[in-house]
Formats: sequence, structure tokens, C-alpha cells
Amino acid sequence: MLQYSLRRLIIGMGMLVALSMLIFLLLRLTPGDPIDAYIDPNLPMSPSDLADLRRSLGLDQPLPAQYLGWLQQALTGNLGYSIKRLDQPVLGLVLSRIGPTVLLMGTALAFAIVAGITFGVIGAVRRNSLADLSLSVIALAGISSPAFLSALIGLYIFSVRLHWMPSGGMLTPGEEFSLGDLLHHLILPAALLSVAQAALIMRYMRASLLEVLNQDYVRTARAKGVREFWVITKHALRNALLPIVTLIGSTIGLAIGGAIFIESVFNWPGMGLLLVDAVQTRDYPVIMGATLVIGACVIVVNLLTDITYAVVDPRIKVG
Amino acid sequence: MKRLSRLSVIALGALLSTAAVPALVVSGAAAEAQAATLSGGFDVGPGGFQGNFNPLAATAGFTWLSVYYEPLIAYDEKLQKVIGALASSYEVSSDQMTYTFKLTDAKWHDGKPFTAKDAKFTMGLAMDAKTGSVLAARLKGISSVETPDEHTVVIKLSAPSSSFPDTMTKVMMLPEHALSSIPADQLAKNTWWSTAPIGTGPFKFTKYVSDQYVELAANTDYRGGKPALERVINRYFANPAAAIAALRSGEIQFTYVDSNDVPTFKDNKDFQVIEGNSFVVNYLGFNHESPLWKDVRVRQAVMYAINRDAIIQSLYGGAAKPANCAYVADQLIPQGIDSYAYDPEEAKQLLTEAGWDQINGGKPITLLTYYTTPLATNVLAAVQAMLAQVGINIVPRAVDAPTYNSIVLNATPDIAQFQLVYAGLQNGPDAGSINVGLNEKQIPPAGPNVARVRMPDLTKALDTALAEPDSTKRDAAYQDVCKVMNTNLPWATLWVANRYGIVSTKVKDFVWTPAPGGGPYQANPQKWSIAE
Repeated sequence: MLQYSLRRLIIGMGMLVALSMLIFLLLRLTPGDPIDAYIDPNLPMSPSDLADLRRSLGLDQPLPAQYLGWLQQALTGNLGYSIKRLDQPVLGLVLSRIGPTVLLMGTALAFAIVAGITFGVIGAVRRNSLADLSLSVIALAGISSPAFLSALIGLYIFSVRLHWMPSGGMLTPGEEFSLGDLLHHLILPAALLSVAQAALIMRYMRASLLEVLNQDYVRTARAKGVREFWVITKHALRNALLPIVTLIGSTIGLAIGGAIFIESVFNWPGMGLLLVDAVQTRDYPVIMGATLVIGACVIVVNLLTDITYAVVDPRIKVG
Repeated sequence: MKRLSRLSVIALGALLSTAAVPALVVSGAAAEAQAATLSGGFDVGPGGFQGNFNPLAATAGFTWLSVYYEPLIAYDEKLQKVIGALASSYEVSSDQMTYTFKLTDAKWHDGKPFTAKDAKFTMGLAMDAKTGSVLAARLKGISSVETPDEHTVVIKLSAPSSSFPDTMTKVMMLPEHALSSIPADQLAKNTWWSTAPIGTGPFKFTKYVSDQYVELAANTDYRGGKPALERVINRYFANPAAAIAALRSGEIQFTYVDSNDVPTFKDNKDFQVIEGNSFVVNYLGFNHESPLWKDVRVRQAVMYAINRDAIIQSLYGGAAKPANCAYVADQLIPQGIDSYAYDPEEAKQLLTEAGWDQINGGKPITLLTYYTTPLATNVLAAVQAMLAQVGINIVPRAVDAPTYNSIVLNATPDIAQFQLVYAGLQNGPDAGSINVGLNEKQIPPAGPNVARVRMPDLTKALDTALAEPDSTKRDAAYQDVCKVMNTNLPWATLWVANRYGIVSTKVKDFVWTPAPGGGPYQANPQKWSIAE
């Protein structure tokens, strides 16, 4: 198990280097460079000043030299300085954004798991009832609504019209930190972020449980006179949950994509907002840094999923 | 089945509990608007510059910076004349080459006195491109900065420049005692700007929460009187729509809005609409390196073919003025220039005379723009349809600003990518600011004359106006520029649109002017107040 994990981690590192190379190349293939975002088209700037600026940012070097220079520094933990915010080292900037994103995604994931499994179970147990049908319709709507759309609708209803929730940010500006204030800001974006994931989990949970409920051992359990509640919770649910674990792992990627939209709409100071902002201003070092960290997270999450799978189902041996 | 429903109840209960816990906490901590705090989206829209705290690097964002920093001189709130700020008065010598500033008694936020040495130090930073100063090129004409005494600064120029006072309004004074130990090339990277900056303005910097907000507290020792507000908060928003959501939910009291959002606030008694001139002329810039536009009759045809009044009425809701040269201020527009009233027949006639069929015919022409708002998209669709009616087939291509810059500012450009551009250039409050887009000496890479306008008459008229020291004669000189533009059509000038801010009616004595780059202008933040 340990050996397996280590091997996966090493492969993961290789993938990260390949990812960084790909991002670096793609960024340089797009027209324009940070200088073009840095300057104001209405202001004259002498060619020599521009050349100075380019040199100071290392943009005058040939591409392979720029990449190797970056990689060498990155290996020592130095991801360079943001171009837009010259006083901010990229590593600090990225690290300070992990907390808010993990908080947002973690809460959303918790919402999604609880809601998805609950409604999935209700759907399967009450198959074809009115409850099941309406849940299915809601789930379908949930899966098919893109994050930015549900975010905008949610924002309009709960914040602009009803004034229940703040329209954005993580804390009320100018106030001392309080947990209540944080939760107040967190609940709406997290709930909206969880919608698609919850719907997906629900659909799978329902299908998976239905399949299990038709198995012989469930019939055996019922025949033995086990109460229906225990049949479902003890016998069926555990087996039905197996594919859900994998599913949850693989929806993390979906959630990251959704988080980028949600963070932009709600001005949530996480990785997504940082990345969108950096792309708009061609802040290469920040784009590279943020992508690497997100990539690393996905790799670690996938590894954890596989390990969890082995824990939940003792029949599976990784090796 | 009873057991099943029990299962459902338990499951539902579990679900509700996760949702209910935060909900309970929330009701206890309902956000209450604190008295004497004004929150706003000061950096929303084209006049803002979110995340910039360094006035030397500021190409915009002066609305906010001037709440805690001050220049020696600033525009009045109508952007009509330059008045004293940290300088109580200033004198210009008769040859227009020596400016003498008399400084007021002011204190930095840390209590130390503001002196002429600080002003000289700041000028040194602003003139040095190594500090990342965006003003360096515009301050090149300074030959010396002298401080005869603690309260006097004398700046000498090597040649008269009518734009000098305008540039000086953007030089925010910085404290020598706090910054002199930092090497010039390290200054922009220093964290002082976003953690502990000090200025002389009515509010002091207290806190910046990364990408969320900046908070300032009243400077009770302010020389212009103790501020009425306790705090001013500048909130950051990813776009104007997010700011409007916050405004409508009562979290902020002020923000910039796009013109198409104005109607929703017009009849709402909780909000006041502030309207003003954007000072930005929108134009179709002909790429003069493209053979398509060589014949002036083709350029005239473009002017005649576009029904500007219709676009202004239907898309801008009437909130724009047609422009027949780069200026809109009355004193800069001479009598009797051509108004190019909508006349598609005339346009067709001109194109036939010029032999458009031979020049280009129906082949598509790329129109490049960095405007990506819905309004701009609609405007370009209308322009495309109108030009198509006279036989000019344009295809708009909207890109982000960095891409646009990389294409048009390239020293060896690909003409096919931008035979025509749709852009905007600021034409006030200093009329000299239009020079960079039209003067032959500003052709990239030297400057931003992206249309590559090479018109000796125009360059001469601009140079004359820029060097004219006398203000009355200067207006006449700019009228000449306007005449040349109107006749030679380096651009098809379209219009100057209005800009809008929305402020809660609870806010009193609030001054906001939609100035290019956010100003600076005399906004008197110490007088701003808010009703309970």
C-alpha cells in the first residue's frame, strides 16, 4: 500500500512537471505578453523603458531558458513574483488562497454528499413515487445548469431580492472576524456550488441502491426477517456506496471548474478568483503557480480516493 | 413501509441539520450597516484600478487614491480648472517655463510635517522610470526641481508645455522619511504600498484584505477639518454587475454603473444617478498603412454611412454626443466644420468615385477592438450593418486588451489583422491628451498612434497647440487641430458617451465625477457623510 502510494506520488510529480511545461508553452503561444497588459494604450512609453521593463521581468530571454529558469526556482519553492502585484511573491499569494477555496469546496462537498446520498436513497426506496419523480426532475435541472447560471440566479434571489445573504466576499468589510459572519458569507456560494455535484451523486446513489436492492443477499436478509430499516442501512447501503466513493473523487475536478465561476461571481478570495484575475492580466507567474497547485490537489485527491476505496471495500487490494 | 418512512425522516433530518446550523448562527450575526462608514465600489469601471496602491504606477484609480494621497494641484470637481491641493497656490512665469508652488502647512498621517523636500523627493521618483513610474515619459521636459525654502518648490521646464499642469495633478506626494531608504528599482516591489502607506489626505490607510476591500479611517488632524465619516471602505468587485448586486442589497452606497444599467435606478428614490462626460472619444481608426483607406473619399464615405444619431438614441439611450473631431468641449470646436450627417447615398456616391470596387469591393475587412461589453457588441453590429448597406463589408473581432495591445503596438504589425480599429481615447480635461493617438511622432513603438496616422498638417497643428503657452490662443490652436481632423479624417470619429455613478440618497455632500482615470479632482472626502 505504502509502496503503491509512493509510486503514484512520483508519477504525480512527473505529471506536474509535464503540466507546467504545457501551461508555459500554451501561455507563450497566446498573443500578447504581460507587458501588453501592464501598459495603458493611452500613455506614451518610450521603447527603451519598455525594453527595461521586459528585461526586469526576464521576458527578453529565449523560451527554453525562461522555462528552465522558472523550473529551477520552482524546485526550490520559489515561484517568482506576481507581475500585476509586484510586491507579492507567487507562492505566498497562492498559499493564502488555498484556505478559502478548501473551505468553500469542502462545505460544498459536504452539502453535496449529504444531500446526494439522502435524496438518492429516498429515490431508490420510494421508486416511481411522486417524491422520486420530483427529485429526479430537480436533479436533472441541477446537473444541466452550469455553475455560473445557478450562481447568478441564486445571487439575485437570496441577496438582491430577499437580502438574506451578502452578495459577495468572505467577511463583512470593516468588521472583526467572527465565525457567524464567515458562515453567513459561505452558505450561499457553497450551496450553489454543491448543486451539480449533489444532483450527480443522487442519480448514481439511486441507481446503485436499486441494483443492490435486487441482489439475492438483500432478499435473503429480508427473508430472515431483518427489519427493512436495517436491510437498507446495514446490508444494501454499504455496498451501494462503493461506486459513489469513486464518483465523489472524480467530481472534485468538476467542483474545481465550478468553483472558478462561483468564486468570480461571489468575489470569494480563493484560487479560482486568483486564476481568473491572473489570466485577464497575463500574470504568467501566478497562472503557473496556481495551475500547479490545483494540479497537485487533483493528483492527491485521486490518490486519496483510491485509498479510501480500498478501505471501504476490503476485497480490493491495491498493489 | 413505516420503517421506510422512518429512514426518510432520519435522512432528511441529517440533511436539514447541516443546512440549519449555519442558518442559526447567521440570524445572530445579521450584517448591520455601521454608522459613519461609507462603503463603495470606488475602483469599479474604467476609472478604477483594483489592487494598485502605488500612485507612481497608477494609470487609473485616482478616485480612490486621492482619498488618502494628495497631489500639489488637482482639478476642481467639474474638471474645468486646476486648483491648489497641497500647494496653496502656484505661479507660472511669463515664458511658461517656471512653475512656483507655495506649499500649505500639512502633516503626514504619522504626524511628521510635509515639506518641500518631500515634494522634490516625489518628483525624483515620478521622473525615474526605474521606480515603475508611468509618468516618467511625460515629465521628461523638467530641467530642474528646486526648493528655495521649506514651503516653496520651483519646477523649471526645458520648453513650454501646456500639458504640464495636467500631468502634475497625477503626481501624488509621497513621504521622503518613509521611502528614501528603498532603492528606486526595488520601490515597486515593496510591501509598504499595501500595508503601511502614509499620505496627507483626509483618511488614513488602515487595512487591505487581499482582493476583498481596502479600509481607511478618518484623519482627525486633517488640515481641511475633521472628516464627518469614521471610515471609508473600497470594496473590490469582479465586474460592475457584482457591484450593482451589492448596491441593491444595501452593502455598499456607491458604485460606477454601465449606461444600460441606469434605467433601473432612474425612478428609484433610494438612489441618485450621477451623470457626466466620459471625455473619451470613440472612433473607427483607419489603419493608414493599409491601402484601403488612402483615398479620403473612402474615409468620408464611412462617416456618411454610419447613422450615429440612431445608434446614440437606440443603444446609448441618448446619453452620448456625436463627435466630428476628437473634441467635444465647445471652446475647442470651430464654426463650420462638416457634421457628416447620415447620408448613405452620398457615401455610395463617394465610394463609386473612389473606385471602391477596385480597392476592395465586398471582401471582408477585419475591425479589431478591445471593447467586449454587450453595449459595444451591439454598437459594432449596427455599424457593420450600416457599412454593409453602402458596400463596405467589415467583420468585428473583439479581443482582450493585452491581445489588442500586442497586435496594434507591434513595431512590425500585420496590417491584415487590424485594417480598422474601434477604440477610445481620452480628450480631456487636458485637450493635449489626444496628441498621442494622432501625432506622427507617436507611431509605435514610440507611442500609441496605432492607426499610424501620418498627416503632416495634423502633426504640425498638434505640436503648435501643445507648445502654446497662452490659454486663449491654445483653444484656437486646438480648433485648428479639430479642423484638420474633420477634413482629413485620420479617424472616423463617432461620439463621446456619458458615464454614470449611482449613490445612495442617504449619502450627503458626496462628490464623484466620471473623470478619465478617476481624476484626480477635488472630491473633499472630509465632507462626505451618511444618514443613519
